[in-house]
Amino acid sequence: MQKNGPVALIFHVLVLTFVLAPLVIICLVAFTPENTLSLPTTGLSLRWFKAVFEHPDFMASFWNSIWLATLSATLAVAFAVPAALAISRYTFPGRDFLNALFLSPLIIPHLVLGVAFLRLFALLGATGSFAWLVATHIIVVTPYVLRLVLAALSGLDRSAEQAARTLGAGEWTAFRRITAPMILPGITGGWLLAFINSFDELTMSIFVTSPATVTLPVRMYMYATESIDPMMAAVSALMIAITAAAMLVLDRAFGLDRILVGQR
Amino acid sequence: MAFLTLEGVSKEFGTFTAVRDVSLTIDKGEFVSLLGPSGCGKTTTLQMIAGLVEPTEGRISLDGRDITREKPNRRGLGVVFQSYALFPHMTVAQNVAFGLEMRRVPHAERTDRVREALMLVQLSSFADRYPRQLSGGQRQRVAVARALVIAPPVLLLDEPLSNLDAKLREEMQFELRRIQRKVGTTTIMVTHDQAEALSISDRVVVMEGGRMTQVDAPYRLYEQPSNAFISSFVGKTNLLAGTWRRNGTTSAADIGGVLLEASAPEIAAGTPVTLSIRPEKILVRDAGAGRLKGRVASRFFLGSQWLFTVETPIGIMTVSTPNLGVEPAAEGSPVGLDWSPDNMRIIAGNAAAAA
Repeated sequence: MQKNGPVALIFHVLVLTFVLAPLVIICLVAFTPENTLSLPTTGLSLRWFKAVFEHPDFMASFWNSIWLATLSATLAVAFAVPAALAISRYTFPGRDFLNALFLSPLIIPHLVLGVAFLRLFALLGATGSFAWLVATHIIVVTPYVLRLVLAALSGLDRSAEQAARTLGAGEWTAFRRITAPMILPGITGGWLLAFINSFDELTMSIFVTSPATVTLPVRMYMYATESIDPMMAAVSALMIAITAAAMLVLDRAFGLDRILVGQR
Repeated sequence: MAFLTLEGVSKEFGTFTAVRDVSLTIDKGEFVSLLGPSGCGKTTTLQMIAGLVEPTEGRISLDGRDITREKPNRRGLGVVFQSYALFPHMTVAQNVAFGLEMRRVPHAERTDRVREALMLVQLSSFADRYPRQLSGGQRQRVAVARALVIAPPVLLLDEPLSNLDAKLREEMQFELRRIQRKVGTTTIMVTHDQAEALSISDRVVVMEGGRMTQVDAPYRLYEQPSNAFISSFVGKTNLLAGTWRRNGTTSAADIGGVLLEASAPEIAAGTPVTLSIRPEKILVRDAGAGRLKGRVASRFFLGSQWLFTVETPIGIMTVSTPNLGVEPAAEGSPVGLDWSPDNMRIIAGNAAAAA
């Protein structure tokens, strides 16, 4: 193990501080008893968390976001797994195009996607429905699932599946009993990343949500443009907690480095 | 009675022909090895029998039934993969039970058969372990048990021993043969290891460049190789290139001016020939005796035998002699080499350059 010199040490501390300090501070502010965004100096209070839970719009948006993220992550898995199997196992015309198409939402700015979908939905007369919102989120989160499932498949020894076939399993049974369990870390990791990305998505959602389908980030954005009070900090702290919990589950179950770096 | 038959089987991958016109009949209960260097098409042939690769041409039939286009799960053959291909998320017992489960064998019978299969490969106490908790040799035996438990008509082994270390490989060779004798399953093994093929097979099929070049019992293959490639690939040999001479009733090969007598088939005088003689067929005599004079260039002690390289007028010869408990000729000393002319094989044509 190489030891860091003093300069490197200071650099690392600064980077970590820069990354973590805003998160730590917003979480502390969430516990303030005051009416303004400030660090709790006189004592700790849960009044702003209570305010969130008693705020019907925020609660509606919270559940809306949870549903949205669950549905879009699950459907993204349903699309990405067969796509990854096709891309990794077969050569067919348009394979590279298909791969690039599925991954393209990663490089197209969400702002552009949002404006584009807004126009499209206006043309189709489809604005405002929850189903369409789910559809846009599926497009945005599919690349995460596809990447992880492709990584899992590329490291997979196909002879296990062939062995299952020779032992009498049909193609679907061999996939369900052998291949799927072997790439499960990739699938689960992809699902959780998709969930988190959908749950956090703001830029595109601003354009494609309707008053009936406002997601939590959009609700926060709208609220923050009018007034900044510690309730925003409380909501932020809740979102951090949910994301961190998801990451923790992921790490405990499969190992974050294995999923994100693709090590086996 | 032919049990498994391959008729004119070929496989092309794009413009590359991996297997060309392979025809083979295998009897029930036979142990046949497909032997050849890597890339010779032996694994592709095995995969075509297993149903994992579809032949471009030809016909494969099992017990009179055409299985050429049948899906692997309908063939019911047992396959042991080079990587063993165990299911990592299942225990040893679950791995072995998988094929029975697919056949909807009732639970009680399944348990019994799994137990018997694990007993056969001597892994009874490992039933509840996961593959990652086993050694290489144990994994290999699980793979064999998993393939045999479904009582397949044919067992296919793809380089089953190549991932094991030398000592274990030797043990497992005899173990495989013991198991095969006991259950009597027709077995086809793919290997690049000639010693492995010779020691456990009833018949060996040699493959080169996608073609079958010789099919014979191990002893015959070793003693009567059909070409220079086989004679040097199967065991060690000395290859001598020369010209065939006839002088009345006697005939001999002229190797760089030295005439070597050999049993004479119908070869016209002046034909280039290649002779082959195995190192263990040559005897080391005192200087002046024997058919050829030479000088010991180097000497290696291998325990049960001595391996010599001897400089002779016709080139370097490799000679091995059994260790008889007496120290043989030292390096640098002159010796005479002798052999029985019957052991000097003539390989048709001059193929020494290819070897």
